[in-house]
Amino acid sequence: MPAAVSIQGLTKKYLDVFNKSEITAVDNLEIDVEEGEIFGFLGRNGAGKTTTIKMLLGLIFPTSGTATVLGHPLGDTATKTQTSYLPENPYFYENMTGWDVMDFYAKLFHISEPVRSKRVKECLEDVHLDPKAWQRPLHGYSKGMLQRIGIAQALINDPKLLFLDEPTSGLDPIAHSELREIIVNVGKKGKTVFLSSHQLPDVELVCSRVAIIHQGKLLTTGTINDLTAGEKVEIRAEGKLNGALEKIKSMADIVEVNDTHIRIPSADERNVTDILDIIRSAKATIIAVMPHRRTLEEVFVDTVLKEGGI
Amino acid sequence: MSVATRRKLIMALAPLFLLTILIQHIMDPKIAEIHKGEHTVFSGLSNEFILGPMLGLSQAVAGLLWIRADEFFDSGDYDAILPLVRMVTWLDPHEIDVYITGAWHMSYNFTDSDQRGDRRYIPAAQKLLEEGYENNPTVYDIPFEIGWESSDKMKNYIRAEKWFRIATTLKSQDSSGHATKSAPIFVWHQLAHSLEHQGRIKEALAVWQQALAISNAKLKLNPKDFSTRNLRDTEEHNWEINLKRLYSRYTHEINFAIDRKMTKSFNPQTGQPYPDDAYIFTKGPDAGKPRPAATSNPWNCAFNCHPVFIQPKVLMPNGQFNVGNGARVTIELFDYDWHPEKLTHFTFDIDESQTIMWDQHSVINGKWGRKIDMSRDPTMYSFSRPYYWLVFYFDPRQTSPFIQDKFGWSGEGMTDKHYLWTVKSPIPGAPPDRILQKVYKISRAQVLGLEPITEKDVVPNAVFAKQEGEVFP
Amino acid sequence: MVTLAIAKQTLDDMLRRKVLLILLIVTVGMIAIGPSVSFLSPRESSSILRSLGLAMIMIGGLLITILSSIQVIPTEIERRTIYTVLSKPVQRYEFVLGKFLGGLFTVFVMIAAMGVVFLGVLWYQEKHLAAEMVKGVMLTFFQMMLLGAMAIFFSTFLTPVVNFFVTFAIFIVGNLSSVTESLTNNPNPATKIMANIIHFVLPNFGNFNIQNKLINPTVEISNENVFIMQNIVYALIYSAVLLILAILVFDKREV
Ligand SMILES: Nc1ncnc2c1ncn2[C@@H]1O[C@H](COP(=O)(O)OP(=O)(O)O)[C@@H](O)[C@H]1O
Ligand SMILES: [Mg+2]
Repeated sequence: MPAAVSIQGLTKKYLDVFNKSEITAVDNLEIDVEEGEIFGFLGRNGAGKTTTIKMLLGLIFPTSGTATVLGHPLGDTATKTQTSYLPENPYFYENMTGWDVMDFYAKLFHISEPVRSKRVKECLEDVHLDPKAWQRPLHGYSKGMLQRIGIAQALINDPKLLFLDEPTSGLDPIAHSELREIIVNVGKKGKTVFLSSHQLPDVELVCSRVAIIHQGKLLTTGTINDLTAGEKVEIRAEGKLNGALEKIKSMADIVEVNDTHIRIPSADERNVTDILDIIRSAKATIIAVMPHRRTLEEVFVDTVLKEGGI
Repeated sequence: MSVATRRKLIMALAPLFLLTILIQHIMDPKIAEIHKGEHTVFSGLSNEFILGPMLGLSQAVAGLLWIRADEFFDSGDYDAILPLVRMVTWLDPHEIDVYITGAWHMSYNFTDSDQRGDRRYIPAAQKLLEEGYENNPTVYDIPFEIGWESSDKMKNYIRAEKWFRIATTLKSQDSSGHATKSAPIFVWHQLAHSLEHQGRIKEALAVWQQALAISNAKLKLNPKDFSTRNLRDTEEHNWEINLKRLYSRYTHEINFAIDRKMTKSFNPQTGQPYPDDAYIFTKGPDAGKPRPAATSNPWNCAFNCHPVFIQPKVLMPNGQFNVGNGARVTIELFDYDWHPEKLTHFTFDIDESQTIMWDQHSVINGKWGRKIDMSRDPTMYSFSRPYYWLVFYFDPRQTSPFIQDKFGWSGEGMTDKHYLWTVKSPIPGAPPDRILQKVYKISRAQVLGLEPITEKDVVPNAVFAKQEGEVFP
Repeated sequence: MVTLAIAKQTLDDMLRRKVLLILLIVTVGMIAIGPSVSFLSPRESSSILRSLGLAMIMIGGLLITILSSIQVIPTEIERRTIYTVLSKPVQRYEFVLGKFLGGLFTVFVMIAAMGVVFLGVLWYQEKHLAAEMVKGVMLTFFQMMLLGAMAIFFSTFLTPVVNFFVTFAIFIVGNLSSVTESLTNNPNPATKIMANIIHFVLPNFGNFNIQNKLINPTVEISNENVFIMQNIVYALIYSAVLLILAILVFDKREV
């Protein structure tokens, strides 16, 4: 299966007019997004997420490097019939009604009546926008309602690939979780989603794979499972260890012994086999060997810290 | 956009741009034609108007300025009007009424305390009108106005005739403002009068005939047009009366054939066949005989005056003239070196140091001349020159018909021992004008009443004419 | 179709702006009170009524054109609405043309509204249809079309404030086309060259000023209709040049 997005060495430099220096917003980025996945694009504010997405959409032009979107080179209008974009903090024509703005966007995809009205209705329903609000101008909409319009307009062409730039920022908790649900549903329909965010719990919940960028550079990429999988393992056993306990203690920092119940909460992966052998040879029963899972947040902080950021 | 498309667009730019230059080049002469006579005025415009001409709204600014001028007319702030006239006609050289109102204002509104006009403005007023005609050469209005002021103000009937003639060839505006109609018939009337004032009666008669033909043609189309009917009657009357006068003043006879054709057969009061009363003696020894020509009886005018400055700058003419009541004697006092400004273009800045006084006094019981007080208007009569011409004259062509009946249009029947003077007309075949004229050359001291004016100061008409010929070429 | 959709959206958006509405009301009001200036001679008040009416339409049209054309594209960028449009299958030239046409439609609607009021006032005042005035109103529209194209072109790389001054300055210089034309015959070679550049390179907005002829019907222009057609063709071609330039610049522009 071809990659939905394939980024090769993408770089964007901005000229800082005041300091007469260059800012490298995106630095030699290499990412592949497979079709059908919900891809999390993580980074702190100013990491270069928006810049990357804008380059992928042809809104700005890379300083060097290339990328393909759905197999097409950058700037190819043909791609755009199959992609869609929800910008960061989107702003729509506030004098238009929800319905009219959707109708307008549908026209840009050359969707003509009567299909157009049907599509507009479907999309507005998909994002659970209160039908009473459809004929009201957007300047009366709440932030959550506007974000729904944002998603709805990103669905209007039934795209194969959606770019969502920080879709949940600034929303209240309920709107937030509803939106998450909508994104998951989009993913279930087999669409590829390129989701940029610095809201890690969201990403953890909806994404299958993520990339972490910092100061324009890709730090790491992988499935959530791989990334959160730790190097520590928790071991539980039942029985008397006697002299073996000292041996284990030399290999693991913490060993909790409660009568016959033994718990080693964070053994180093490399020592696990040795520790298990010692336990077995002491005729104790191994109850559980549990690899340690980190939160994505921990992964993110660790990764960025390692890079000397924060 | 593909590189190829970009290149195509860039390539298209050059020919398209050249095309705009070409079109501009084609349009330029027309643009020059449309804006002929317009001046870009920036300086002198007040702030609220300055942007107008820059945005191509000259006409609107002109309109607003003219509304302001109207306020000045109402408030009598006459000095403020002339600069506005200049601006308005520069911004919109097609505002015919502005030229006319401006010139009329200059010619008639500046006066001294006794309502004598300030004639220093006349050349400028005429120049303004001429400029207006240059910018609006298709409509009769301005030439007519030049003719009118030449006649009424300047008593220059040759100039008046020239401009009335031009006016007859031009158009007047219809209700939508287009110059489609011929000039109104009163232009022909004034043309005829200007010829009468030159003693060119046969030509005047011909013009009355033209006017009659025009009016009759109009009446044929619209017999119920009462204003045209009235005008036609006026023309008929004027033609007839001129004809009668032509015969009665210069011959013994009356052309009965014409007269009968023109009038009813019988006078309802006398029951006599027309014409009788005016030309045939009905009583006395010559009853039944035609009256002799008016000009065949020499009329001794006994024209004279003894001007005195009774106070500084206050002139008493003390004139006499043997003529019927109502004849008007013209009195002029002007700088020795004065000549009408030969203006190449209009300017409303007059030479304040000039002095020109012009007045006309009626003869009552053989005497004429009121007090002329020039002391109250020092700006108009600055008397800044050492010498002045003081001229008293009677021109029969400027006088009323019942006086002309005594000695003809051009004073053919006038006699006078001292002051008769013949002025030749530059028009070939036109009769000379015989006027009565007494000219003094006086000094500033005399104007100020420091020295008396005596008969030694009188300058022979021939000498004055020579001098005048130099200053009025 | 995309271009027209953008144009229509722009028009709808413009027509909902209060500034433009107020502007329209003010100018229409000014035209309507024109007849109160009737204390001069009939000929004078008629020409003043016409010149002020045409002037009001021109000023109203000018402000509307400048306000709309200078702002359309920068506002889209500033409010980031452009992202949702350009990320869809919309060519950048379609966007520029759509915005231009939207502004043009706005100007057309406004000028037409003012023109109708103006003709109505003249009709009320003079009891006949002053059809000639349509020519003036029409030429004002084409003048504004050219101005709008220029403002759009500058808006692709200048900030609105700078654009305002540049556009306005060129409009003024371009309005002096009869002056620059006469300067092209100036004996001073430097003046002559400058005048030629100004006259032939900058758009000649003064070409469209035929108020002179309309207000004073005695001024005859030979082949008037040909002249008006030349003016329209000039406006169309020059606008095309400016729009191509705008498209070329905007195509490379990062938004
Ligand atoms: N138009 C621009 N000119 C100069 N610098 C820019 C511009 N756009 C973004 N940047 C800089 O590029 C970096 C990345 O920005 P952005 O992509 O918006 O980050 P993110 O979306 O991850 O928060 C930031 O340092 C930002 O200041
Ligand atoms: Mg961002």
